Amino acid sequence: MASISDLLKKSTIFNSLEEIDLQRIILLFEQRELHTGDILATAGNTAQYFFILERGTLLLAMEKGKSVVQATPGDFSAMELLSDRGRYKTTITALEDGVVFSISRLAFLELIQEDTPGAAVIMQAWQGYLDQTAPFAKNIEDIDVPAIF
Amino acid sequence: MYGIEAINANNGWAITAVGITIVFSGLVVLSFVIAQLHKGLDLYDNPQKIKQWFSLKKKMGKQLDKPLETGGSLLVLTEEQKEIVKQFALLVRTLEDHFSLPRLLELARISGVKNFYSNLKILLKSGILFPDKEGFFCWDQDLYIKIISH
Repeated sequence: MASISDLLKKSTIFNSLEEIDLQRIILLFEQRELHTGDILATAGNTAQYFFILERGTLLLAMEKGKSVVQATPGDFSAMELLSDRGRYKTTITALEDGVVFSISRLAFLELIQEDTPGAAVIMQAWQGYLDQTAPFAKNIEDIDVPAIF
Repeated sequence: MYGIEAINANNGWAITAVGITIVFSGLVVLSFVIAQLHKGLDLYDNPQKIKQWFSLKKKMGKQLDKPLETGGSLLVLTEEQKEIVKQFALLVRTLEDHFSLPRLLELARISGVKNFYSNLKILLKSGILFPDKEGFFCWDQDLYIKIISH
């Protein structure tokens, strides 16, 4: 599990977590190999996983023709970027061979709804990440209700 | 034998010169250490400065990884890649200034552009295609011409 551990420490969303929180979340991730053209998620399907990029380039095709390209290790496809009320609203395509780690959507949402410092750190970092990568995707009205994703 | 005669006879002048050199060298080193002492104490008082220094170094390294954004060398394409980039350029002409990237990808697929996924990635990596922060992408015509004619 050294690989996911290193990746989370590099990720702007997870790198501020305490070691104990990090060790807990590491267990939830599963590695997946990607090949060029692979579809990781399809808009309209039941949202089962969120993804963190280890290597490669992902195109997140969102509603109304909008999109985000993720190519930095630690980039996280989740919540506002990916799902809405349990369904994917985004189609993720691999533009090259690579590796992602997937995490169960339900497990992740449960984790961030806990009343713990770790959950608060993740949510705060996530808002910062969205501001930088996809400010247009921010859901201002429902910002404090992670369950809707 | 006494006085100057004794000094001359027993290498007194050379020993004096060596002694003076040793003492003055020691004093120079000591004064340099004292002069820099405040920097060490400052780091001791503010250890986060060490962290900031390393993160700055890391940032600079990252910027160097993106030569096109920092005015570095252009991405060199093979002749085949250049042809495909030209095909993309034609497709982009049919779109608005700020266009949908999935739409461009779909057009490339329909038009039979070879390896459209990996070539789209090259366009992104080169900086010819860049995000407008509103979810759409733009085409850098100047950069395109530079890369094509390189």
